[in-house]
Amino acid sequence: MNIFIFGLVNSVILALIASGFALVYGVSRLANFAHGALYILVGFATWLFLNRLGINYIGSILLSIIIVSAIGAAIYRLLLIRVKGMPASEIIASLAIGIAIMELFRWRGFISEAYMLPPFVKGSVNIAGVFIDWQRLIIIGVGLGMMLFLWLFTHHTKVGLSLRAIAQDKHASIMSGIEPDRTAVISLAMGSALAGIAAVVILPLGNITVETGYMVLTNAIAVCIIGGLGSWAGVFAGAFLLGFTEILTAALIGPQWQMVVVLLFIILTLILKPSGLLGRQKELEERV
Amino acid sequence: MLEIKNLMVFYENALALNNVTFTCQEGQITGVFGPNGAGKSTLMYTISGIILDMKKTEVMRGGERITILGEIQFKGEDTTHIKPNERTRKGIVLCPERRRIFPESSTLENLKIGGYLATRQEAKKTLEYVFSLFPALKDLKNREGGFLSGGEQQMLAIGRALMAQPKLLLLDEPLMGLSPAIQSRLVQAIKEINERTGITILITEQYAQPILPIVDHGYVMEKGTIVLAGTAKELTDNPHVKAAYLGA
Repeated sequence: MNIFIFGLVNSVILALIASGFALVYGVSRLANFAHGALYILVGFATWLFLNRLGINYIGSILLSIIIVSAIGAAIYRLLLIRVKGMPASEIIASLAIGIAIMELFRWRGFISEAYMLPPFVKGSVNIAGVFIDWQRLIIIGVGLGMMLFLWLFTHHTKVGLSLRAIAQDKHASIMSGIEPDRTAVISLAMGSALAGIAAVVILPLGNITVETGYMVLTNAIAVCIIGGLGSWAGVFAGAFLLGFTEILTAALIGPQWQMVVVLLFIILTLILKPSGLLGRQKELEERV
Repeated sequence: MLEIKNLMVFYENALALNNVTFTCQEGQITGVFGPNGAGKSTLMYTISGIILDMKKTEVMRGGERITILGEIQFKGEDTTHIKPNERTRKGIVLCPERRRIFPESSTLENLKIGGYLATRQEAKKTLEYVFSLFPALKDLKNREGGFLSGGEQQMLAIGRALMAQPKLLLLDEPLMGLSPAIQSRLVQAIKEINERTGITILITEQYAQPILPIVDHGYVMEKGTIVLAGTAKELTDNPHVKAAYLGA
């Protein structure tokens, strides 16, 4: 039961972390390596608004998420738009921004245990003999709510449909009147907002550290590689596979083996099915 | 409605379109026929503006240099340098070669995406029209595009283009790779679209035989140049066309 509940929490955390990264990649074919930096940026920004400017908790959260969406949009508009279509340059540019943001915080001295966000609801509950704190339950709720929202958004709204269209065929989308740069800006703003939402629900479990940013990026990439880049179902499959594997490894073999097993999974995926568990096969796309 | 004047397109130093001049009359079906590599698709990409996006990508990659010279006039307005999605808004809609439907979206979603610029009412009305034109699509509306047959995909591609409320519909080789039975059904549908809605149609094909009966005016293109022009009847009677494009 322990393993099930904490595996579930861990999986939802991974899905939340990866969903922003996957959204941006799925729509714009841009690997946003600043994802982890945006995640901790929201953490620190919320902390600053809360403790330095005295804005209430909800206000601080909303403000940080709005700011991070604007930053995400600006990153595309000002920088990535110039290197689009060149994958190596996109990765270098976005990683550079990410490192700049993260190291800026380290340089300004954001490295103490004081940086932490309070949980939304204090205390814990007993579910079938396992004590679990409210914050972890909230994470599950927000995570599942987010997945439902994203599904509805991408299947039933004009903007969502256009995001999926451009991910599948850019020229055909343009012919339907969709403007590719505008959709890319929307996807980066939304992806950044998702990173922000993940940050505010997950960070109360521990301290906000600069290293968290690097870890979040690594985890997001791991989930997407295993699940298959550009596939929603793949993101969830990857998150649950990794999430439970991590918890099982920690419980059965020892926590120090967690990372080893995760890396083994990535290597196995790349050897056996490089497109990921649910990555689409190209042959399906065209029938002439 | 559409006037092409001295259009030239270079891919690096290769001349894809050489001094092409022709017109599409409002409400008519105009055909452009020619073999592989004649420049038909380049012509369609240039009229629809997709070539500007290709050019942008090439410039960024430091790849092939694409040069476009000449003028495209749509309804008296020079559209040569207007962005492709803006041209769609003005009513120039391309139904591209090899269909290019969205394989991971359902039939209905494909059509909805096509109606991205349409108002809710226009979209609803056009959707009904598309389903009446191609009843097969209605039964397949929840099937993913990638799982449709070639003929169904072509119907979907035309339907999707109609959803964008075209005034000028560009059909790039719509009959490619389809069986004669499906070809004749599509040709009928194209004729019906033109008669019912009055949409001006520009259509390209390699093989003129199935299309010629519904075409008002036709051009024959070879190696990027228009070598023949005339009404459908004039083209049908021309010995050169007979030999090369009608299989006679």
